[in-house]
Amino acid sequence: MSIDAKHSPSTPSDERTAPLGRVVATERQPNTPHEFHFWTALDAPVGIGTIVRVETTRAVSGVLPSIYGVVTEGFSYTDVQTPLHDVLGADGEPGASALAPTDRTEIRLYTAAVLRHVPEEPLQPVPMGTVHLASEADVQVALRMDSYVRGEKAQGIPVGLYRAGGTEAAVHLDADFLLGPEAAHLSISGVSGLATKTSAVEWLLSSIFAHFPARKGRVAAVCFNVKGPDLCFLDQPATALDEADRAMYQTLGVPAAPFTDVRYYAPWNARGTQLATLRSNDALQGNVHPLTWGLRETLQYAEVLLNRDDIDAKADALIDFIKERVLDQVFTDAGTLPRAYEVRSFADLEQWFRDLLRALEGANRDVWRTHHIATIRKVRNRLSNISTRCRGLVTDDGSVSDLPFGRFDDRAVYVVDVANLEEDAQDLVFARVVSQLREHLEKRQLGVEHVVVFVDELNKYAPADGQDTYVRKMLLDISERGRYLGLVLFGAQQFRSQVHRRVVGNSGTALFGRMDPDELATPGYQTLAPATKARLATLEKGQLMVRHPHFGQPVFVRFPRPAVLGGREGVERFPQADELSLEEAVTKSLRRLDSSVTLGWVQDAIALAGEGEDDILRARNRTLQARPEDVKAYFKAQLRKRVEPETVGRRGPTPLRVPPNDDPYG
Amino acid sequence: MSAAPSGGGFGIRAAMRALRDAGVHASSDAAPLETRRVADEPPRLEAAAPIEGTRVEARRVHGEPVVGFAAFLDGIQRSRVVAHVGGIGVPIVHGAVASAVRLRTGQRLRTWESPVISQALYAPLGALAPEFAASLMAAAHNSNELRRVIDTEVPAGSHPQEFTARALTAVQRERERAEVSLAESWVARESTPLLIDGGISGAGTAARHPMAIGVVKSHNALYVTGDSVATVLGLREGERSTAVELASPRRRVPVATWYLRLRDHGNRSPFFGLVRVEVAREGEITERADLVSRWLLAERIPVSLPDPRWDVMVYGIRECERYLSSILT
Repeated sequence: MSIDAKHSPSTPSDERTAPLGRVVATERQPNTPHEFHFWTALDAPVGIGTIVRVETTRAVSGVLPSIYGVVTEGFSYTDVQTPLHDVLGADGEPGASALAPTDRTEIRLYTAAVLRHVPEEPLQPVPMGTVHLASEADVQVALRMDSYVRGEKAQGIPVGLYRAGGTEAAVHLDADFLLGPEAAHLSISGVSGLATKTSAVEWLLSSIFAHFPARKGRVAAVCFNVKGPDLCFLDQPATALDEADRAMYQTLGVPAAPFTDVRYYAPWNARGTQLATLRSNDALQGNVHPLTWGLRETLQYAEVLLNRDDIDAKADALIDFIKERVLDQVFTDAGTLPRAYEVRSFADLEQWFRDLLRALEGANRDVWRTHHIATIRKVRNRLSNISTRCRGLVTDDGSVSDLPFGRFDDRAVYVVDVANLEEDAQDLVFARVVSQLREHLEKRQLGVEHVVVFVDELNKYAPADGQDTYVRKMLLDISERGRYLGLVLFGAQQFRSQVHRRVVGNSGTALFGRMDPDELATPGYQTLAPATKARLATLEKGQLMVRHPHFGQPVFVRFPRPAVLGGREGVERFPQADELSLEEAVTKSLRRLDSSVTLGWVQDAIALAGEGEDDILRARNRTLQARPEDVKAYFKAQLRKRVEPETVGRRGPTPLRVPPNDDPYG
Repeated sequence: MSAAPSGGGFGIRAAMRALRDAGVHASSDAAPLETRRVADEPPRLEAAAPIEGTRVEARRVHGEPVVGFAAFLDGIQRSRVVAHVGGIGVPIVHGAVASAVRLRTGQRLRTWESPVISQALYAPLGALAPEFAASLMAAAHNSNELRRVIDTEVPAGSHPQEFTARALTAVQRERERAEVSLAESWVARESTPLLIDGGISGAGTAARHPMAIGVVKSHNALYVTGDSVATVLGLREGERSTAVELASPRRRVPVATWYLRLRDHGNRSPFFGLVRVEVAREGEITERADLVSRWLLAERIPVSLPDPRWDVMVYGIRECERYLSSILT
């Protein structure tokens, strides 16, 4: 060691661990600035993913460099030149080899990818030196976490524990690179069932809520539950946490507790009596809200529900006309329509279409305000169909129950349960919720400055191939521009290679659970060493490989089981509510607002009003939306506001018309 | 003599520096002397007195092979001409020797204590100009690694190739000295059997110690005569010959020896798989010869391939040799 040589100031000054290996390089297998090789004793606690520190005695510019690396490949071999030699030695009897008094000389040779050179300059090939297991402080330096986990401006978000050879170190993500503005978004990949994607996201959200610095603003999460009950019990404590999990929570500084502020939103079922969610148990209804939209909310995103064949320039023009000139205002056309219209619901719109078409047909007109009658028929057909296709979500009567845009709370989770909706309706929910989040964030009017949007099955919603959809365009937009707004996408998928490359490419952080070997064979993983791929293909539950902008190489971490009740356990502990009669359903809903409401009272009220089922549900919905002081009176009043029956006049026969040649729908 | 590995780089650099300091142009690109063909003594048969019965015969080794050796001792040498000086080009030879005991612990081998390593320049000082000889010795003495110039004592007027032959012999003696010093250390401190590569009669105190067992792989001299030659060469796998005593005047210490067939030679040379074992001439020999033979038969695996002498070289010795090669670069 040079007399004046000193360790770099960035090198941890904690106890220097005993060497467990030596750097080795040959002409055929030289070291480079980004990769080196070392050998160890046969029993050294080194494996794929272990972080090591190289120390050398040769100073550069008066400073002894330290090099940090992560093991990416391992080799083992003996001095036997060919397998045949071993066969000869054992006389072809495999058991005989075990009788050998001496084991052959054997080597453990590892390849490590460089995580960091300290000092950074000059960047030289890794020198010969001793190899040491990284200590906790070493891990911080190696992963460049020292710049954001210490001091007053600490902004590390624990993602898990690095464990190797007795070293246990918390691995933190940089909040600026996870939630913006420097980078943002997270992509988590892995096979279904074994990769623990949902668990990882639940854990990470807990960690974000516990560690996201208040000075950086408020943060909330919107989770789309697209399948099963996984996200249905986020406010219920886990039953499966063991001591190891709790210790991990303690080490990582995250409370081992469920989320304290969770709100659920789900559409009604097809009958409209109950919410279509697996979280239907009576004991859990306090924070479950209907998700229903009317005409205005739906028409704004009609493009989501109408396919390319539906939306041509002519249809688009008519829809725009309706949105601009008809919707939510008094519309009159004295020359054509018999009265003034105020279209606020699908029912109103249907009435408007019906009257318009009848008037045109009666007058034998093909064109109304530049719109051909065939186009009007087609748009009517497509739009009227929406309330059927999205039954439970889209209401005919225009009643709206929505997420509290503008009143989002800090550290709250908003779960939108779309698991029971048709695919089209799911798309509509994604499009509208995310667009609303974006619009409110742009205006800084959401209530929080950062929103994490968790979407599972990105393979399906942002596929790499296939036609461009509204939802995919929207997800691309979030991934490319969301970080400036605080709109952060946490996307999960089974096959990362099948998600649009701009979505995964813009994810600053990537987590990998157990991966499918076929997936690992795709070009996106060619930068990983074979041993790293092999480890990825066999990862246990609770283990992840993490890529983050600060980390020179991916690292493996463990994370605790989520402190929330799992989906399967949840549905067993909180069984679904039985199918209810109309009266029971109304009673149950109203009792959330007024506990004095009884089944008998509801039965009497309905009997007295003599309304149809739709009218009763409409009255219930309006009551739930208004949350009035006097629930009973309001509900009764809504029952009396029945829609006046339509008086259909006697119509003469409509003359047969010849479609024009230039109308493709004629 | 060094008692610890140098940590690599134990080569002829020091010799090159010393010669440069002595004003001689030195080169390290000559072939090692060990690779040159050296005129061996002619093969010979030498009578030895049986110490089991009255005549040499084949004996089945009784009992299964059993692990007995605790350690293995071997030595290696490297020598090459690094300069030629004077009118007839007197060769200056750099020689390095190393010896080590590899201790077997839990089926793994590791170095017992420290290997013995040394290097020196070998030159016929009488054949060199006195001033040059003096400056060469001073340069070597000033070198931390080299230290010595060993006089190979070649008489004036000798054949020029005699210089290198004498140097090679001198390096060999240095190696033997290194081996003997380790063997003596072993028997002084340990109480378990040590397998020594080669004979033990010159191994000082070890030659008289029951824990030192020598194994000779070459058979330039066969210690049987007459019909006994066929008996020895006809030994089958797992058979040994009657033990005989080697007590010729050339030997410093009398030892007991016998031949042992480690592997079936089939249609190969009759020397295939044939080793000669040397032990101290102490105590009852039959039982001891059987036991040591069983120890050796147990060492047949793992085989020492791809070494060309794999049929007679036990793995522990090969491993020791490779270890020494790695530290004597």
